[in-house]
Amino acid sequence: MVQEKIRFQPFSSEPIRLIDEQGHWNAPFEHGLPPEQLQRFYRDMLAARLLDEKLVILIRTGKTSFIAPHAGHEAAQVGIAHALQRGHDWLFPYYRDMGLVLAMGVPLVEIFGQTLGNAADPAKGRQMPSHPGSKSLNIFTVCSAIASHVPPAAGAAISMKLRRTQQVAVCTFGDGATSEGDWHAGVNFAAVQGAPAVFVCENNRYAISVNISKQTASENIAVKAQAYGIPGYYVDGLDVLASYFVMQEAIERARLGHGASLVELVVNRFGAHSSADDDSRYRSREELAAERQHDPLPRYQRFLEKQGLWDAQWANELRLEISKELEAALQAAQEAGEPDPLQMFDDVYAARPWHLEEQRRLVMDELQS
Amino acid sequence: MPTMTLIQAINTALDEEMSRDERVMLLGEDVGKRGGVFLATEGLQQKYGPDRVIDSPLSEAAIVGAAVGLAAHGMRPVAEIQFADYVFPGIDQLFSQAAKLRYRSGGQFTAPMVVRMPTGGGVKGGHHHSQSPEAHFAHTAGLKVVVVSTPYDAKGLLKAAIRNDDPVVFMEPKRLYRAIKEEVPSDDYLIPIGKAAVRREGRDISLVSYGGPMVETLRAAEEMAAAGVEPEVIDLRTVMPWDKETVLNSVAKTGRLLMISEAPRTASLASEVAATVSEELFDQLLAPPLRVTGFDTPYPLAQDKLYMPTVTRILNAAKRLLDY
Repeated sequence: MVQEKIRFQPFSSEPIRLIDEQGHWNAPFEHGLPPEQLQRFYRDMLAARLLDEKLVILIRTGKTSFIAPHAGHEAAQVGIAHALQRGHDWLFPYYRDMGLVLAMGVPLVEIFGQTLGNAADPAKGRQMPSHPGSKSLNIFTVCSAIASHVPPAAGAAISMKLRRTQQVAVCTFGDGATSEGDWHAGVNFAAVQGAPAVFVCENNRYAISVNISKQTASENIAVKAQAYGIPGYYVDGLDVLASYFVMQEAIERARLGHGASLVELVVNRFGAHSSADDDSRYRSREELAAERQHDPLPRYQRFLEKQGLWDAQWANELRLEISKELEAALQAAQEAGEPDPLQMFDDVYAARPWHLEEQRRLVMDELQS
Repeated sequence: MPTMTLIQAINTALDEEMSRDERVMLLGEDVGKRGGVFLATEGLQQKYGPDRVIDSPLSEAAIVGAAVGLAAHGMRPVAEIQFADYVFPGIDQLFSQAAKLRYRSGGQFTAPMVVRMPTGGGVKGGHHHSQSPEAHFAHTAGLKVVVVSTPYDAKGLLKAAIRNDDPVVFMEPKRLYRAIKEEVPSDDYLIPIGKAAVRREGRDISLVSYGGPMVETLRAAEEMAAAGVEPEVIDLRTVMPWDKETVLNSVAKTGRLLMISEAPRTASLASEVAATVSEELFDQLLAPPLRVTGFDTPYPLAQDKLYMPTVTRILNAAKRLLDY
């Protein structure tokens, strides 16, 4: 079987962009997407932005302990989410992917449960906020250790190839991750095995404070793919349709047995690295203000307007609807309460060995005294 | 009943498990065409094909990390690390991913996988072909750690490890690979993980060891028996979780514990067992628990045999306990 459509060339010198800043469709092919889907992209981007704003409020009001803001990544994340076959393909996300997992269909209650670290979290409040996961959606629970999920993504892709499941493993990470040894190990193994993996860099040019210019001497991230013998796509990640169509091509390429690829989605990071970071120490406010002029939402809004698919009233209603959903989910998550403290000793192993039984009893006695 | 060396028993266990369950697969450096540098996987790629016996790139991070993803996706991977000394580039995968996947996902995802590795000294391997790093693994919640000492156990424990639902680090003392031959039944038997074996019954002193130094421990026990002492010898077999019940029952009977291990002394399994026995049996002890261990130096080449617990050192420590 051969791939139906090859639209994009790897290793382009300029980022692949389909919608320009003014919102013009600027591609040699028709997008062919129905209006509902085009509007759905907007809704998911707006939901991601409003979720980010809500998380900022939760940290400022002391209701959560940590967030990793994703504002500026929405177009890339929504593009990725829609290119996957949700619930069939596997996603190996990183900690700045709350907008992505939301667009993948992780219920908001679970997202807030994870943010609050309480009983509404399917992972039982075990990890810091911004570390979601979902077995039912094949979203591999986020691990803080940078790039440590890249070799597991390669392994899952090898399993998919071995068992001919027609699935694809999509693995996302930031630009800093590409300097880790495990990143190289994972990409190399998937590439040499011809495994159906798509490695996706959400390149916001900052690893906490370290600018991409100190991270790599490569001209961009996509060119690194050349060393592994796989295609590398350099994409404007502020353009939701460019992100979507390139991801779709990379995913279908993998699904059809043509192996792994690397996609670089160049995005902006509008917030600090995390709630524990003060980005004014290393990034001028002028630079940030200039970046904010390149916001993925208004650009896509202009595109939709030109198609007659956006007006202020619709957008306001949408905003209201999403805000209500966020509020209701937050409320429900807050009501879930604290997880059982003795769950601390569960899930270390399939069954508790004697030493964990002893340690559990110690805590149980302390709690009862 | 066939007689086998330890390495043959490993090969047999892998073969039987791969033929029983098509999810079982192997990956590692040189495990395919070459059959592994110690020949643990000899003939298996020919039999099961290159997709189920993968010659991996030279990267322990890739081997261990891919095993995590393979396992999470439903396979039962057995990864080979060529020498325990080379597991360290794969440690982030073992500690951050494999060990914690079940916990961090609240039980949603698991990594049922085995990481096999030749361990220990005695083969003139110098720093980086001789170490016994089991304490690092035992100190990391979420991993089970097995150290075998006989061909019979190697087969039953490896099969149990492959069927276990948790990540298991499976350590094979390389100096025993071809040192011992014994009868290994051809039937499908399992040895439970977490269960020690009493190798010799006695009432005067408990000698507790595992892995490579089981040889010297049993030799010392024979010499002690010839001199009229009745030592009890326990092979832990699993060091995480170790079999506290069997050890405590023995020391409660003998009142004396001698721990023998070739791993470095400080923060070792030997220390852990000794501390637990002191805490739980303090009033029944006739002497303080003692440890005979490797030393807190990098593993030396020239003093290869001297580094490991010698029969003399075991006998001297036993005498201190008996004379206390």
